[in-house]
Amino acid sequence: MADPSLLHHDAAARDTDAPIASNGTGPAFASAESSSFAQTSLPLRQAPRRGAPPQIHDVTEKFTRACQALDVGQLIKDEYFTLFESIGAIEIMDAKMDSGFLQPGETLEDDFDLLAPLLPEELIGIMDQLLSYEMAWHTGYPLSQTLFTSVYIDRLLYPEPKTIPQAQFYRGDIPDDKRPGTLLDVLRAYCLALIKGCDYVIAKIMARDYFEEEDFATHTYNRVLFVQVPIDVFLRELDASVEMIEDSDLKIDDELRSAIIARLHFRKSFLCALDPECPLELLSNFWPPVLPHVDKVNDTQHLGRTVPGSFSTKIQRRLASTVPPRPIVEVEFKDALQTLKQLCADCEEATRFKDLPTDPLEYQSFLWTFASRQPAPLTYSRSYLSNILFDPYILNAPVSLPLEDVKSFVFHESPILDPANWALSPPRNPLMPKPPRLQFALLIDEFVERVGQPYLDLWVALGQNRCRLRRMLTHVIIAWDMLQQDAVFVDADLVVHALQLNIAEEVMDSPLLTWVYIKKLWMIEKVIILGFEQDIYLPDEHAGMYYFLSLTAGKRKDALQRCAEHLSERCIQFVQKSRYQDTNDTDKKLAFIDSELQQATGISAFAKALHGFYVIANYLHLLPCPGRPFSTEELRYELRMKPFLTLQPPEVPPFEEFQTALQPYGAYSDPKPSINDDLKQEHSLPWTNIDASLKAAKDAFADVKKRGAKGAKAKGVEQAWNKETQGMLASCVALGVAVAGLKSAVKNTELGRGPQLKVELPTVDKRYVGGWVVPKIVKE
Amino acid sequence: MGDDTDAKEKDGDALQYVQYDGSKEETYLPAIRQLISKDLSEPYSIYVYRYFLYQWGDLCYMALDSANELIGVVVCKLEPHRSGPFRGYIAMLAVRESHRGKGIATKLVCMAIDAMAARDADEIVLETEVTNTASLKLYERLGFLRSKRLHRYYLNGNAAFRLILYMKEGTALKRPPGMETAPAGQMMGGPPKMEEYRGFAQDVGVGEQAFVT
Ligand SMILES: CC(C)(COP(=O)(O)OP(=O)(O)OC[C@H]1O[C@@H](n2cnc3c(N)ncnc32)[C@H](O)[C@@H]1OP(=O)(O)O)[C@@H](O)C(=O)NCCC(=O)NCCS
Repeated sequence: MADPSLLHHDAAARDTDAPIASNGTGPAFASAESSSFAQTSLPLRQAPRRGAPPQIHDVTEKFTRACQALDVGQLIKDEYFTLFESIGAIEIMDAKMDSGFLQPGETLEDDFDLLAPLLPEELIGIMDQLLSYEMAWHTGYPLSQTLFTSVYIDRLLYPEPKTIPQAQFYRGDIPDDKRPGTLLDVLRAYCLALIKGCDYVIAKIMARDYFEEEDFATHTYNRVLFVQVPIDVFLRELDASVEMIEDSDLKIDDELRSAIIARLHFRKSFLCALDPECPLELLSNFWPPVLPHVDKVNDTQHLGRTVPGSFSTKIQRRLASTVPPRPIVEVEFKDALQTLKQLCADCEEATRFKDLPTDPLEYQSFLWTFASRQPAPLTYSRSYLSNILFDPYILNAPVSLPLEDVKSFVFHESPILDPANWALSPPRNPLMPKPPRLQFALLIDEFVERVGQPYLDLWVALGQNRCRLRRMLTHVIIAWDMLQQDAVFVDADLVVHALQLNIAEEVMDSPLLTWVYIKKLWMIEKVIILGFEQDIYLPDEHAGMYYFLSLTAGKRKDALQRCAEHLSERCIQFVQKSRYQDTNDTDKKLAFIDSELQQATGISAFAKALHGFYVIANYLHLLPCPGRPFSTEELRYELRMKPFLTLQPPEVPPFEEFQTALQPYGAYSDPKPSINDDLKQEHSLPWTNIDASLKAAKDAFADVKKRGAKGAKAKGVEQAWNKETQGMLASCVALGVAVAGLKSAVKNTELGRGPQLKVELPTVDKRYVGGWVVPKIVKE
Repeated sequence: MGDDTDAKEKDGDALQYVQYDGSKEETYLPAIRQLISKDLSEPYSIYVYRYFLYQWGDLCYMALDSANELIGVVVCKLEPHRSGPFRGYIAMLAVRESHRGKGIATKLVCMAIDAMAARDADEIVLETEVTNTASLKLYERLGFLRSKRLHRYYLNGNAAFRLILYMKEGTALKRPPGMETAPAGQMMGGPPKMEEYRGFAQDVGVGEQAFVT
């Protein structure tokens, strides 16, 4: 069904996988400066135009006359009028679409008295309801259905006050006896700080890549959220409110008093944590203090009392006239608090980023792990982390981050990266050839600059919501594929100069190509794994997709193997030359390569075991397999492989090869008879292959585990890393159990008679690791 | 709908499956709108219906009972997608609640697919809520695969799957006219050069379909 929410959506933003909002990522983090980084600019929303007053012409009569010439149902549109635009149309005078439509007797505005005195219970009730709506906004609903339904917020913002003192629940002069009392003043301070917090949230989210309305709605309907007013103004208002409430002259129950104070304290601590000006090194100080206040708010929520009429959908009419009236979003207070706590926890976790060692691979582990947190971090938290990552302090590290990444894989104490190379100056005479060592420096600089954008693309993708991450990675892979073609040329030049210097044996074969390829394959693996996590693949596709995953990880394993071999050779060279320090350093690097190698080995082997298992399950008709009258295996294969079809070297095996791997005994519906005997025999190829793969996977993951998070450059996320590694091991064990169950069941039944078995596929929340669907055998 | 009580009687009725015809808008459009909007949180304006029915009325099929009452409907469009393929899109599908589970929607969708195939469609796509079991089952049985998950796609905050059915070989690599030679992701043509590549941000406007499953 077409998406009803496409009504009034920014169509362009909806249907593309590139972020709609993005700003420059500042200067290159690479050694060379690169202007391209500053230009990831994308179409931006247009600001409403102000200027000459509109002229009004009455076209009613002309229009009516013109309409008579039309048949019923006839459509007038030009070629460029899209579905999305047509979906944006509303019918005037239809109550469900026309927000200006008044039912008979309905009034345009509520007659709620904003200056009517509040009870302390009511103040608490309103504050808590505001907090609930604030959190609903954080989960993606627009302000018009959440906070902006508050009549108090509305009045503070509209008509737009010129100064903060003007931002009152009234405008202009009022008689003294109408002046708001203490509790209304306190509510005002609370609302002001809340509004400022929204401003901060919008600023932070818009500073990074996100998807409007899908991730978050930044729309403020031309209300200005005190953008220009500095934070201390709001903090002072909150402090003054605390004093007013603490004043013993104020006659109010102590329990209520402290509940109100807790809310003001919460608001203050939260606003401080949201402050975008907060310097990087202080960030982590601001989140921990928020939580205790949240707990106090939680404990006293029962004291609050709602105030009917203090929230109203009617305000929407003045916010956006082209959108149908939409209901206020209902959120349970306890869910809202859960959201708030998650927000605080995620942001606090994000602040740990700045303490990571300056190592892009540690960064990558952190980004991946953060994106994998459950429940998924909210848009604000993701932006918060991205803002830290793209902080000049991180990005402009003294070393080139992409080059550090390259070094971890392929250049180890390499003459190519000798700092002395960069100290050489070109010959005076430009016609003279440059010295080879200088050529190294120039080539590396050129490559590092070339890498910059694809490298950033990967990081940007890792900061998106999980669905986008998967799709965006497929774009990033294409970018890295092009990078790989370029790396070939740089590698060739490096060899030429290494030969000139007679140090060819110190340089690995195709180092840059190998590095790019390893990263690219890693991304392909992630796309497949995310596909499983997001339930993209139907059960009868599992065999094929795990097969493809196994192939891909296998190629990465081979590439890593080449890195490891080169490193070992280097070690021997160093020992021969008595360069013991270098030997030691290289050994350390080898530890990382080995960890990666084992990880890739494990993934490839485990995917292969799953592939084997699902193939058998398909033959045994244990998985649902739709009839699919309109499709063929070839067509489905093409669709599945679409993101990877153009990659070089070709990653997608020819269909025949794929089919042979998936249907070793011929069609599932009509297998070769030999399958019967084979499956009944424990030591036949189908079973021994699975057992061998499973054993290889277990050994590899056990080895990875032994080497630990540090070895894998995931020290910064050690806990999560341990959990996942443990999860992979547990998955291996679980698959072993399933295989044994299937084996023994098949032994005792005739094939085709269908062993009384069921294969259960756990839903994502029941898996050890989200992307690994380990089946369970259930006897009926 | 108010007629669930006599649904039983009508069960015996053979349904008629008919193609929509623009000249009968006044007879059918109100019923179509009513049937479709039952499952929407917000109604579509009449313009949306006309957008489809005026341009692709022949890709709209209706199931009618013997009293000529509308029981089910499917609404589609078919046009070149900017990424290249000639793409069919199933925009709306609904069957009256009292008549569900009898293969009526399946039949309507099959007719629509056949019509689009006859008009040379490369692929057919649609979106459906990840929790809409009936719809997923129906389409997946016919051969559709899930190609992506769309985060918070619906107004209620729910996610959707995009489903795709390829009708022809070579659809994945189809490019818009004039760009046939360009590999995916590199719409400029010609061999990639270092200076040219500026990241995917520049591909905005070309559309994701060129690059993404
Ligand atoms: C989706 C819809 C059109 C299906 O209509 P229908 O005529 O009942 O569909 P069919 O009978 O052809 O097929 C539906 C299949 O889903 C199955 N199904 C229905 N509800 C189901 C459920 N809750 N769980 C599992 N399967 C379900 C049916 O049993 C049937 O499969 P079967 O033939 O194997 O038994 C109908 O439910 C509807 O109008 N829903 C509201 C609108 C909507 O969701 N449109 C689709 C969005 S694009």
